[in-house]
Amino acid sequence: ANPSQPSSLTPPPSTDVPPELKIPNVFKEEVSNNPGTFEELHRKCKELFPQTFEGGRFLVSKGLSSHFQVSHTLTMSQLSPQDSGYKFGATYIGTKQYSPSEAYPVLMGDIDPSLNLNAHIIHAFSKKVRTKLQSSVQEGKFMGQGSVDYLGDDFSTTLTLGNIDLLNKTGVIVGHYLQRVTSSVALGAELVYQRGPRVPGGEITVLSLASKITGENWLFTANVCPSAVAAHCCYYHKVNEQLHIGAELESSLMTRESVGKGCYQLEIPGGNAMFRGSIDTNWTVEAVLEKKLMPLPFTLQLSGTANFANIQKSQYRFGIGLVLG
Amino acid sequence: MEIPASGDQIMELTGDKLKELTNAIEDEEDDDEELDETLVERLIGLTEMFPDSVRNAVCSAGSFSWKAMQWSFSFSKSAMWVAVSAGTILVLPVMFENERAQMLDQQKQQEKQILLGPHSAMSGPGMVPPGMLPPGMVPHPHQWHPPPASS
Repeated sequence: ANPSQPSSLTPPPSTDVPPELKIPNVFKEEVSNNPGTFEELHRKCKELFPQTFEGGRFLVSKGLSSHFQVSHTLTMSQLSPQDSGYKFGATYIGTKQYSPSEAYPVLMGDIDPSLNLNAHIIHAFSKKVRTKLQSSVQEGKFMGQGSVDYLGDDFSTTLTLGNIDLLNKTGVIVGHYLQRVTSSVALGAELVYQRGPRVPGGEITVLSLASKITGENWLFTANVCPSAVAAHCCYYHKVNEQLHIGAELESSLMTRESVGKGCYQLEIPGGNAMFRGSIDTNWTVEAVLEKKLMPLPFTLQLSGTANFANIQKSQYRFGIGLVLG
Repeated sequence: MEIPASGDQIMELTGDKLKELTNAIEDEEDDDEELDETLVERLIGLTEMFPDSVRNAVCSAGSFSWKAMQWSFSFSKSAMWVAVSAGTILVLPVMFENERAQMLDQQKQQEKQILLGPHSAMSGPGMVPPGMLPPGMVPHPHQWHPPPASS
């Protein structure tokens, strides 16, 4: 794992969480002051990026009661045959409700016939304290991660422990702090301590700084790591109810890579369709169209991506998905 | 053959000497015709009147403009392809969905107009066109027929 990007341990934002279960980070009474957690810094912009896929995808989700939901997923892909197959997922939402849109605890898991398991538990002990446990078993290897969030009046702190192995003394400890400084500016920092066999020198500590600037209908977040001379900036703008645009710039002088990406999300209310498109400096163009086929609760997803980096050998990938329920 | 310059030797240009002179002149003329250059060789020979630098400059300008034309043609081919395929992925579905939504809206408005009479679709007051309704009749809302199923 790259030590300067510990957030690769956290799950991707939208693929595993069904939309109605997405937990907004800010409780209603504190919506003006709590700046949100550090992990969700770039979330608003990242949500606009199209989640493309290749091949076929078929998802059937069935609610067995108001708390319990079961889903079956079939993935058929030529480019990633290791991901193809059947996955069974289950979600349980608890009864403790802090606001109309949130309920705790949330237990989510999925498993496939090769016994690769992913499981998340999210629980809020009170309005201010939240914990999250994630574990995954892939091909016999176990990886676990746990984090505790404290959401104060105008700040939030998080402590995350990942892959702690006391016998070999390896693991990752991450601490986050985000403080609202003025009504539109929040500043924060992240400290990562990692120890393991693949880390150069045995152990490494990385500090990075973050800021979040909010405007009337825009949001700018930046994450800068001085030791690795890396920066990750995101800009989100809400043009009107239907059109949201975003831009992201990620650059690192250590690895000499720099990628910029612009995207937009357009909602077509009359046609029950949602379209997300993006274009980036790796000469890649991606788009996803999600269309609800009323009156049945079906959603059709069409995804296309094109890569023109090598004009003689440009690559095109298309995917089609159907979601029932 | 030297032609003598002094006047008193002019009288000697008769007879044999005159014959030799005319033969020599004709031989030179024959030599001229037997050289037989082609047109291209003559044109190339003409360029020798320009200095070296002018010749080189014109040659490189010509080959550069030919190569530039080839390059710009292949570049515009690639650029047009990239633009069209990126547009198909990014923009086409949105346009189709928008048009479809507009058409559905129009269809609904038309159906409303047919079912409820012209009053429903008109926004201005007192705009009953003459002859549309027999006097005293108001369209009865309970007599709707279910709308035809729209795909």
